[in-house]
Amino acid sequence: MSRRIAVTGLGAISALGVGAEETWRAACEGRGGIAQHSFDPGSHGPGPVTLPAALPPADFASGYETRYGRKISAGVDRFALLALCAAAEALEQAGLVDHAVLDQRTAVVLGHGQGGQDTLEKSYERYFGARTQRMHPATVPKVMVSGGVSAVAMQFGVHGPVFATSSACASSAHAVIQGAGLIQAGLVDVAVVGGSEAIATPGCMAGWQAIQALASETCRPFSQGRDGMVMGEGGAVLVLEDLRHAEARGAEILGEYLGGGMTSDAFHLTQPSLDGVSAALRQARDAAALAPGEQVLIAAHGTGTPLNDQNEAAAIRAVLGHAGQAHPVIATKSAHGHLIGGSAALQAVIALKALKARLAPPVLNHIAPDPACEVDLVLGQVRPIEARKALVNAFAFGGLNVSMAFAA
Amino acid sequence: MKATESDLLDLIAQEAIVDRQKLVRDATLADLGISSLDVITMLFELEERYGVVIEEGDMPQVANLGEMVDYLLGRINAEEPAA
Repeated sequence: MSRRIAVTGLGAISALGVGAEETWRAACEGRGGIAQHSFDPGSHGPGPVTLPAALPPADFASGYETRYGRKISAGVDRFALLALCAAAEALEQAGLVDHAVLDQRTAVVLGHGQGGQDTLEKSYERYFGARTQRMHPATVPKVMVSGGVSAVAMQFGVHGPVFATSSACASSAHAVIQGAGLIQAGLVDVAVVGGSEAIATPGCMAGWQAIQALASETCRPFSQGRDGMVMGEGGAVLVLEDLRHAEARGAEILGEYLGGGMTSDAFHLTQPSLDGVSAALRQARDAAALAPGEQVLIAAHGTGTPLNDQNEAAAIRAVLGHAGQAHPVIATKSAHGHLIGGSAALQAVIALKALKARLAPPVLNHIAPDPACEVDLVLGQVRPIEARKALVNAFAFGGLNVSMAFAA
Repeated sequence: MKATESDLLDLIAQEAIVDRQKLVRDATLADLGISSLDVITMLFELEERYGVVIEEGDMPQVANLGEMVDYLLGRINAEEPAA
């Protein structure tokens, strides 16, 4: 890697709270955000269902709207609003709001699995329900998966490369790597990267129920008794910056992006593959350039589904070895649920905080170890760690695997 | 549900993102920066809130905010809810 890449800003919104700092505090204190919520398909659908989900505070945008007004936020879908609020926090922390670099030498790359699902379902409920066949003219721009990046670009005056990535549960991991690549290619000095998702909607939840991916009670990564994931909504953004650019303007360096691995199983739409996951993890491990015996923090994909966790644990053992179980594994979806396209970015934010604090937040909802998932899980309470580097995993339906390496 | 002029001005301020204090009867929509998209967004919200379907093509040319508010109040308070 020719150019080193610093992380100079973090933003996060999820069921753990509004803001990266609040997110980190909740994760450390073991305060989970999963609760029972009712999903009502409306008068034309079946009756409402109650399911576990992890949703951000209802007023998550109020701070943003106080600072920036509603001109942009009022016209976007919930997924884009989550991205916009997280991006604002990250850019403020980086000290880049109104900075000249945003004009031409900055990219915005955000990942989302589905885009404006809330808008789509409400519009179709009206349309197919024949209450009125009028469709709101803003439906298309609100639904499009690039609605989030456009909103961020408009709010902050970014005129460089702006695009979205979409790869289901790996979307924001691909976004981080793409943004970093733009810096490494010399096309920009700053990349606003991350992702968001807001698909805890009645129709979408029914789809996830149909594929039998949802947990009956809660998310129990790598534990006996795990039976699925819990849908989460939220967004997270990192400001990546050419290290020389960051140093020249005296920015606080929150961490460093070291590289990432990306593979495709080319195998099955829903079943994971050990080879594909291991290969991505191996690429990221190599990018991290671990010294012999060096501990690395692993922010697992850890969805709590039977197959993913078993496969991921096997990959971790295959790539990082098993001797002494020296590598602490965290699985924060047990606290903030699965943000689908936004998960990897949120987990990267938490991993960077963990590296800085030298503390690993606990995996929640654990019942008992599963012999098929043997890894060094951080259980019970926050654990002091030696690791100065972390691998953040994201494995998506369709066999799309990403692992990112960070240091702090 | 019946609407008052004050209810409607609150809704316009919210949906068209205009300072409530600037919503005076003789202001034109152009003066207030209210676009045709804002008007449609407002009509959708009226439908959600009062159950009255007002197509954008129904609305006559209005010279100012006061005329628009009078028209909308007339429709909302005259019609039975659609659903």
